[in-house]
Amino acid sequence: MDIAHSIQSIGFLSQFSESVLAYPIVLSTHLTCIALFGGAILMTNLRLLGVTFKSLTITQMVTSLRPWKRLGATVMIATGVLLATSEAEKYAPNPFFWTKMVILGLIGVHALVFRPIVYNRTEELDKSPIIPGRVKAAAILSLVLWTAMFTMGRLIAYWD
Amino acid sequence: MLLQNAVGDALNNAEWVFALAECVHIGGFAVGVGTIALVDFRMLNLGLRQETPARILSYTELWTVVALLFVGFSGVALFLSQPEIYRVNLIFPIKMYLLAAALVYNFTIHRKVATMKDAAPALSKLVAIVSLLLWVSVVFGGIFTGFLV
Repeated sequence: MDIAHSIQSIGFLSQFSESVLAYPIVLSTHLTCIALFGGAILMTNLRLLGVTFKSLTITQMVTSLRPWKRLGATVMIATGVLLATSEAEKYAPNPFFWTKMVILGLIGVHALVFRPIVYNRTEELDKSPIIPGRVKAAAILSLVLWTAMFTMGRLIAYWD
Repeated sequence: MLLQNAVGDALNNAEWVFALAECVHIGGFAVGVGTIALVDFRMLNLGLRQETPARILSYTELWTVVALLFVGFSGVALFLSQPEIYRVNLIFPIKMYLLAAALVYNFTIHRKVATMKDAAPALSKLVAIVSLLLWVSVVFGGIFTGFLV
């Protein structure tokens, strides 16, 4: 708790969490990222599952939306760090927060595992007549992880 | 009134129902607004350029509508759980006006220009920017409703 207290006492972080406007603006930006990039995540995964966007190849779908997802992830993480550190004492004992961090870690693991065998080999997948099991697994796991991610994010507010 | 009380009671008596409604609300706008944003990104020529805006709209439209219905139903449930708080909230009515504007705009002007053959690039871009601004302002309105009571 001492560490949490020292983090949130850092000058600009304590000013930030006490500000009437700054905190909700950053939280709104965090949620705007979900609103703007949730569609890209969903539709890419549905394309991998062969459900929609069939007039585009998997390569076109994945490469075209990749910069947007990266931008979204960067802003989401930057605003998330600000939100969590400015109220570190509240977040440190919160099990939903730590569950969310574990899920974030799992999203990283998902990228490490599936990038070499799915996302970086899309041209191969476009030539394949059927969608291999590993591709479907990557898509379904991504959808499950992101759903768990925003659910835990919301539930953080429910623990006291 | 009876329905209001029944829904309100259920949400107040079981905290997890309220939490669930909030999660549905967030998941719903992630899909609803997110699919509209895909059409906007295309109209801005910033993504999915291999396909026309009209085609992207046809792929995403059903997802948008169904997701927004989930957002609407969960939103009504959240409102009914504590209507007196929302009634005196200064930001909430602004959010509702913005939402009404965003919905009307989306299914009229936005749809019309997205499905136009050979729409002027400047027009497409303008329409997409207004769409993104409207929806982002609705999200901000939702958060500020909770903060500035």
